[in-house]
Amino acid sequence: MEDHLIVEHLVKVYERGKVLALNDISFRVPKGQFLVLIGLSGSGKSTLLRCINRLVEPTSGRVIFDGVDITRLHHRALRLVRRRIGMIFQQFNLVKRATVLQNVLSGRLGYVPTWRSLMGRFSREDLERAKRALERVGLLDKMYVRADQLSGGQQQRVGIARALMQEPELLLADEPVSALDPATSHSVLKYIEEINRDDGVTVLCSLHFLSLARRYGQRVIALKAGKIVFDGPPSEIDDERFKEIYGEEAEQVEVR
Amino acid sequence: MARKPNRSRSVEPAISAKAIITSFFLDWLFWGYFAYVVVYLLNYYWYTVYVDWYGKLVLPAWAWPVAVGGTFELAALCHALGHSLGVKALGLRWERTGPRVKLLHLLGLNGALLLGAGAFALVYFGACRIHGLPPALGREAAMGLGAVLGLVVVLGAMVFFSRAVPGLVLAPLPSPDKWTAPPPRWYRTLWGLMALGLFLLIMILGWHVTDASLKRLGNMVKTAYLWKALATPDFQHLLHPDPWLNQSILQGLIQSIFMALLATVFGAAFAFPLSFLGARNIMNFNPLARATYYFTRGVFNVFRSVESMLWATIFAIWIGWGPFAGTMALFIHTIAALGKLYSEQVEHIDPGPVEAVTATGASRLEVVRYAVIPQIVPSCLALTFYRWDINVRMSTVIGLVGGGGIGRVLFYYKQNTMWHQVGAVILTIALVVWALDYISGRVREGMV
Repeated sequence: MEDHLIVEHLVKVYERGKVLALNDISFRVPKGQFLVLIGLSGSGKSTLLRCINRLVEPTSGRVIFDGVDITRLHHRALRLVRRRIGMIFQQFNLVKRATVLQNVLSGRLGYVPTWRSLMGRFSREDLERAKRALERVGLLDKMYVRADQLSGGQQQRVGIARALMQEPELLLADEPVSALDPATSHSVLKYIEEINRDDGVTVLCSLHFLSLARRYGQRVIALKAGKIVFDGPPSEIDDERFKEIYGEEAEQVEVR
Repeated sequence: MARKPNRSRSVEPAISAKAIITSFFLDWLFWGYFAYVVVYLLNYYWYTVYVDWYGKLVLPAWAWPVAVGGTFELAALCHALGHSLGVKALGLRWERTGPRVKLLHLLGLNGALLLGAGAFALVYFGACRIHGLPPALGREAAMGLGAVLGLVVVLGAMVFFSRAVPGLVLAPLPSPDKWTAPPPRWYRTLWGLMALGLFLLIMILGWHVTDASLKRLGNMVKTAYLWKALATPDFQHLLHPDPWLNQSILQGLIQSIFMALLATVFGAAFAFPLSFLGARNIMNFNPLARATYYFTRGVFNVFRSVESMLWATIFAIWIGWGPFAGTMALFIHTIAALGKLYSEQVEHIDPGPVEAVTATGASRLEVVRYAVIPQIVPSCLALTFYRWDINVRMSTVIGLVGGGGIGRVLFYYKQNTMWHQVGAVILTIALVVWALDYISGRVREGMV
């Protein structure tokens, strides 16, 4: 299958702390794959995801998305690529004082001309699209509720609806369920899985729990101190591999 | 298992000797400076002759040996008693293994040693006189050298004494049981004491710089007639205009409130867009933006630090005396003050939504519109209300320099020493400010 995303020799050095966050990362993702990133906190998962849509500026290396080298793009071209890449976050990153609808509509900003969006006017189609996205994540009744009134799982679903507004080809999920309890985690991950399966969206999702990675991932990449230490199907991660990734003292914790 | 504290751990002898000597000289230095400060302060209060015009310490010939010897003595005593700042500065502490040494014994020994040192100095001096040894030295130098040698003997004996009798040994500063011992109260720590001392010094300095005087506060009786007049306000002109002013108190007050309102609303309207230019987290995408940030902040600060009284004077000349000049003064001041406050709100937003909206491919303006503004609007509104409150109070002062409003009324009465009328004005202002404060407090509560 054609490679949807190619990461080549990606390096990120945080100048301030002189930290080597990513150390020569290379991998390819075919279209429609559900790829799970695992690794300890601080192993570089978030940095890697943010280098892909350049929320974080990589130090060197290339990120090729759908044949375009993202690391070379400027301003407008970068924004045009960004709108095709949805992202959801560990802390949901909703505007808490705004309504759910406003949060979801903000996912459409890459498509609306700036002068129109500054007036706060979205087209009828966008409103319809927002309704569909909210219906899909089961939150249509919360449209005009303030975001901070929702529970954690509901907020993350608003985050997913916001990403859906972009009609993304690639979805980056930065530990989408770390702030949620196990039951809610599954409901959120099921929505992501559904988007992957039904819409054919390529998903890069970082997760803390190996059990979740096994359940949802088609392929797992494990990072340790900014380097890839494992790349393969989740079934190949045995106890020995696990200790290699998480360190000698780690124990497996199940989330069902 | 917890580690057992090793109480008998002490510093190696070689380090110990070096540490003892170094810390002793640090102590000596400390007492030297202490004595200097004491003499200096004494001079400041009683104009003794020991500090010359330029603030340099001038001592008569006899005082120098006394100062040197005295500070030396203090240092040696501190050292022998195990209370040495120098030791602490080296990161060590005294650890006592024997009984506490008696101060009296120590003083006795010290006296004996001093006598010995004096005798030694005299003998040395005598030897120099008779044999001309060493020939190159003068009289004072020979005497001084003798004294120094004597003092070294004292030091050696004291250190020996303190180590031999009460068994003081040097140990590393963090006590071995520091994990379980409660942390010392702040005023028992070295830093706490130093901070306290510094604070006291600064307060003493401030007392003198501001020319504060308790004696003159006692002159309060002189104001008795004033208080009496203020306490019996005359509300004759509350509603009926004063013919000299052509304005009643209430009219002035209403004028002031509207001045403040206009200045606040227009000031906020100008400050809000400017505040984004003065927010570091928004303006860091390229060097030009950073320059804009510093420029905007600089303008805010300059305009804010120019007192609104001065603005009122400027506008009184520019557009003539009256409420409009006052409004303009408040307006300029409000832009700068609110601009700074708004900018701080922008800087304290949650960066998460900014990241999220950026990731959707939104432009920079859209990010501000959809991720920043929704976060700051409620707190900015609250700040604006607070500013209105401040502006009403400020407008009273602005009247002094031709700003119109209630301030004009107040200062007219004050200039003419019509204290009963001043009392009435102050009372009405207090009422209005209290009411506004209450309202704006309730509104802020509802918004944040």
